[in-house]
Amino acid sequence: MNNPTVTDSGLAGSVAIVTGGSRGIGRAIVQVLAAAGMEVVFTYRENAPAAAEVAAAGPQGKVTAQATDVRDPAACAALAEKVFDRAGRIDLLVNNAGVIRDNPLSALEPADVHTVIETNVEGTFNMTRAIIPFMISRRRGKIVNVSSVSGEKGGRGQTNYAASKGAINAFTRALAVEVASRGITVNAVAPGVIETEMSRAVRELAGDQIKARILLRRYGRPEEVAHAVWFLSSRYADYITGQILHVDGGFKME
Amino acid sequence: MNNASITKQEIMAVYPKVAATMADALGCDVEQVKLEASLIDDLSAESIDFLDIVFRLERAFKVKIPRGKIVEEARGDLSEAEFDKGGIVTDAGLARLKAYLSEVPAERFMAPLKSADIPRLFTTETFCKMVLRQQRAVGVTAPAA
Repeated sequence: MNNPTVTDSGLAGSVAIVTGGSRGIGRAIVQVLAAAGMEVVFTYRENAPAAAEVAAAGPQGKVTAQATDVRDPAACAALAEKVFDRAGRIDLLVNNAGVIRDNPLSALEPADVHTVIETNVEGTFNMTRAIIPFMISRRRGKIVNVSSVSGEKGGRGQTNYAASKGAINAFTRALAVEVASRGITVNAVAPGVIETEMSRAVRELAGDQIKARILLRRYGRPEEVAHAVWFLSSRYADYITGQILHVDGGFKME
Repeated sequence: MNNASITKQEIMAVYPKVAATMADALGCDVEQVKLEASLIDDLSAESIDFLDIVFRLERAFKVKIPRGKIVEEARGDLSEAEFDKGGIVTDAGLARLKAYLSEVPAERFMAPLKSADIPRLFTTETFCKMVLRQQRAVGVTAPAA
């Protein structure tokens, strides 16, 4: 081996699928992976103009938007086939698509629970099930799930969201065991409060209280989460699996 | 779509491609993948390998092979309760399995057989037959070699 280098992440020329890439953290992930030289196919559900904007901002032909609902297993399978047939490989899956429906438990409607679990948890199952056979066959691959600080530390009005992210953490650890023998790593990032549209309501409602609990005394930026995803996707993380990497500025709970 | 309708000739026509696909999945020499080889006992396959083999066969033969298809078809019109009691295959279930997996030597069907151990019975030929059945299901008449 040559002298150690920290300039080659090993990602250039490889292929990633990122779910929920039109906005927020997902958008930043798409941009960082594309900047690392990956070909990125990202999914979106509703916001076609935002998705088109993300695709257009990427290097020519390297970033593609696909309208795919992760709640639909058949649509996930079709996307996996399509990407593999075109690119001949799928190196990375980032399960980022997620929704939030905050309310105290007593005010939660069944639909609020169902929607969050269906997208965040079942969506992660659906896309992973669709893509993992391609990785098992190649004896390599990386999966990075986007969890949340609330998956472990809880938060008022977030029983549904916290349960969904706790499920993603458990899913991450269990799948890591299942596919380790096939050279596939499975990890998660757990963002704290990040400056996105999704967290705007909670930041406006309880901003001072929240910041008081963040050791770094500021919110995170989407690209700071994306850089953690980049790390776990890169060859520098080849020996890391089944881990939940917190990207939360040192978030403390009461 | 019963076993009797699958001829040895048809099996031998798909066998080379099935064997090559299985050798790729298991990382072994194609010569080791004999028609009568038990995947688990002779070829050291693990459960995750079955998924990989089925996935590769689907792509190699352009067919869809539903997961759990072998046991489901072997069970036929028996209810799950008639086929399996407390994780053990019933006598009626064992008879169905023997008929369906006619390529597996009779002495390997030893009672009590745990349902979870059914895949231990599968041989290369089992997968050849699975491919042929699925080809017929989608109307492929001449098996691709």
